[in-house]
Amino acid sequence: MAATPATVVAAEPIAPAQASLWSDAWRKLRRNRLALGGAVYLTLVVVVALTALVWTPYPMAEVGVGIPYSAPSLQHWLGLDTIGRDVLSRLMVGAQVSLLVGVGTQLVVLAIGVPIGLAAGYFRGVFDQVTTFVINLFYGVPNLLVALILVFLLGPSLTNIIVAIAATGWMDMARLVRGQTLSLRERDFIEASRAAGARPAKILFGHVLPNALGPIIVQATFGVPAAILFEAFMSFLGLGVPPPMPSWGSMAADGITAIRIAANLVIAPAVALSLTLMAFNFVGDGLRDALDPRQRR
Amino acid sequence: MFTRGTLIYIVQRLVLITLAVLGVSSLVFLGIHRLPGDALFSEHLRGTQYELTLHHYGLDRPLWQQYLTFLGNMFHGDLGESLVNRGVPITPIVLREMSVSAEVGLVALIFTIGLGMSFGVIAALRQNTWLDYLLSTTSVIGYSMPNFVIATFLILVFGVWLENITHGNFYFEIGWPGRYGSIGAIWLPAFALGFPSASIVARMTRASMLEVLQQDFIRTARAKGLAPATITIRHALRNALIPVITVLGPLAMAIITGGVVVENIFGIPGLGKEFATSILNRDYNVVIGVFTGYAALVGLTNLGVDLLYVVIDPRIRY
Repeated sequence: MAATPATVVAAEPIAPAQASLWSDAWRKLRRNRLALGGAVYLTLVVVVALTALVWTPYPMAEVGVGIPYSAPSLQHWLGLDTIGRDVLSRLMVGAQVSLLVGVGTQLVVLAIGVPIGLAAGYFRGVFDQVTTFVINLFYGVPNLLVALILVFLLGPSLTNIIVAIAATGWMDMARLVRGQTLSLRERDFIEASRAAGARPAKILFGHVLPNALGPIIVQATFGVPAAILFEAFMSFLGLGVPPPMPSWGSMAADGITAIRIAANLVIAPAVALSLTLMAFNFVGDGLRDALDPRQRR
Repeated sequence: MFTRGTLIYIVQRLVLITLAVLGVSSLVFLGIHRLPGDALFSEHLRGTQYELTLHHYGLDRPLWQQYLTFLGNMFHGDLGESLVNRGVPITPIVLREMSVSAEVGLVALIFTIGLGMSFGVIAALRQNTWLDYLLSTTSVIGYSMPNFVIATFLILVFGVWLENITHGNFYFEIGWPGRYGSIGAIWLPAFALGFPSASIVARMTRASMLEVLQQDFIRTARAKGLAPATITIRHALRNALIPVITVLGPLAMAIITGGVVVENIFGIPGLGKEFATSILNRDYNVVIGVFTGYAALVGLTNLGVDLLYVVIDPRIRY
């Protein structure tokens, strides 16, 4: 960053305080056993998902690697599904889908919601009014229903699922960032930066955004399990990633038809999904306690 | 409580809801027409029969004419006919299914609030004991369990493992038997729908109860020698509930969306079941009807919740 001398003077006294915020947060987070356990589990999920890119015990789409509905055995740890595909292999690939949707959606949400929130909160005026109007219009409308309509109209695919969830997801992020910006823009150090002649872009991304980063990170962390849940929900209804790509939601939906003869078909994806969501929520709780002590739910 | 202003407010909201419903159904109507394929594609109709069927549904006319007819019919509350079940009008079906979904949803909401509040109050009164930890852990787990996972496990436990005891008596009757579900058939789906939300209510109730119990007026009430139950319910809980009722709207929405899946798992003949069936059958007219029904359900529920706020909190006026 090419900083003008004036902003260097303004930034210097802030720097040590910021460093201590992050190290302080890290110390708090390390002491939170649930958050740590969640993080360890999520690392495992990521490793499994990456492994599935290059290796799975059996090809995930290959039909008839054994007898359909087989119970878990040494060859097939989680059994075989209704048309004789290896459940463990499909579960591993399903982790990719969940993580892609969860993280991908939040990246889109951050890319759209943060700049809009910053601009609306900082410049106010017509742009703020229009943004607030749109956000209020959708307030009280369940995001999941909007996402279902969009996926139905756009057609089910990984990209469209991410688009459909992010289509309403950015609003919550924009609302949060707008609120943070509104309160930060009145602070003295922003005023000082403005007086020193910093441009709006410099103020917003150099001063406002770093100070609002804590709540943004917390919100994005909670957004990941929400998006994963939405994807599982859509897949359960048959509006998810198209077959033969497995998703935990569609695996559970297939498994429920065989619940009497092979309960493992529905238990495996259901447990994987629940544990992943729980782990994200634990990490989110931990991050909130560490980064954002004022905010409580 | 309710004034002339409230009445005007209700009318305004109803107009807005009507506009929103029209907007949603128009979006779905126009969106469906740009999907590839043909509404009658799967029926393998040939020649005049195909032409006649297309004509019957007005599908042979230009899109703008179809849309105008659609809008006109919407104003009469007519959603058209099903494409799969020929000649069956959609509006009565959607209305009936809305009421079934609303019935299950309402039980789920009562369940959510009752269970969540009791959990929260008990956890707050027994703060930092094993009971508190047990309830808090349960609510964190419940919050992370998707409702369809809970529903699946309930089916597994009550429908498969305990079948000798339950004899599958908790299922809804297949199809529409002409009457609503009994409480025996509703409590399991209501539990599945309500449990994740109940966990949120429990967490909030616990936090706000702990805050209220610290207040001076609670100490005053204790000093006066009031019975602990009176203090807990009349003095503490009433004040602790104020932050909790603000999540009533989101809770109701979570229950409505949850129904989309849970109704399919339990075979409840509501809007959610129709949603899955109509998409599977590519019965586009019914799909439009279902989304219209959901738009109305969401709008009316939000209005109901807002009016409930007026009843609960006398400071709120419209």
